[in-house]
Amino acid sequence: MFDVQIAESGDILLSGRFDASQVEKANAVFDQISQSCVVNFTDLEYVSSAGLGVLLKTQKRLADAGGSLKLVNMNKHIKDVFGYAGFDTIFEIE
Amino acid sequence: MIPACQRANSGSSYLTMKKKFKRELKSIEQIFDFISVFLEKYKLDDSISFTLNLVIEELFTNMIKYNTESTSEILIELDKKEGNMIVIITDYDVEPFDVTRKKEVDVKAHLQDRRVGGLGIHLVKNMVDKIDYEYKNRESKITLTKRLER
Repeated sequence: MFDVQIAESGDILLSGRFDASQVEKANAVFDQISQSCVVNFTDLEYVSSAGLGVLLKTQKRLADAGGSLKLVNMNKHIKDVFGYAGFDTIFEIE
Repeated sequence: MIPACQRANSGSSYLTMKKKFKRELKSIEQIFDFISVFLEKYKLDDSISFTLNLVIEELFTNMIKYNTESTSEILIELDKKEGNMIVIITDYDVEPFDVTRKKEVDVKAHLQDRRVGGLGIHLVKNMVDKIDYEYKNRESKITLTKRLER
């Protein structure tokens, strides 16, 4: 079960499994973002290239306006995937 | 009692399960369940779960995205043979698409030069030890081999 929410702080909270069947649900939230924000991965178990695509699309759009996403608290598997994709150089990951 | 899917193979352990899935994104959850049952049934280390979920999702979604003419279900087979996990994914009534010959992705490109999409096969190549592709009688068969940690 995948979920994506915007917390009161403005951070985006991801949880569950972010696979190709969840892109529409994720886009509905990420498309609302218009300035820099933190994406919290604490409760996210899994992400595939479909999820990476949503994040990349958002990062490119924000960069055009001088903003960016900061990704925090990824598990080791997800961090490895970001490394294979070369996303560790185009996102701030903490 | 020996499970129905388990059989001896020249004296070595050979475990296998196979199932066909409808070519739609809704199948992904069923595929994850199928992988989970296999790992649990044969008491395999759960650390392989993330890799199996990802590589199978990427190849499955590629097949339904690009082989749009086919209406056949896609066969997924999981085998554990000695120290290796083997995944075989077969798509029927399709044109050839050799994933082993796909152009490399430039993962060092700057943000503005990165294209959204096209990363799936790249991730698969990074997460398994071997990929084989076979095309015969309008069937595409991809075989992935991943060494299991001891």
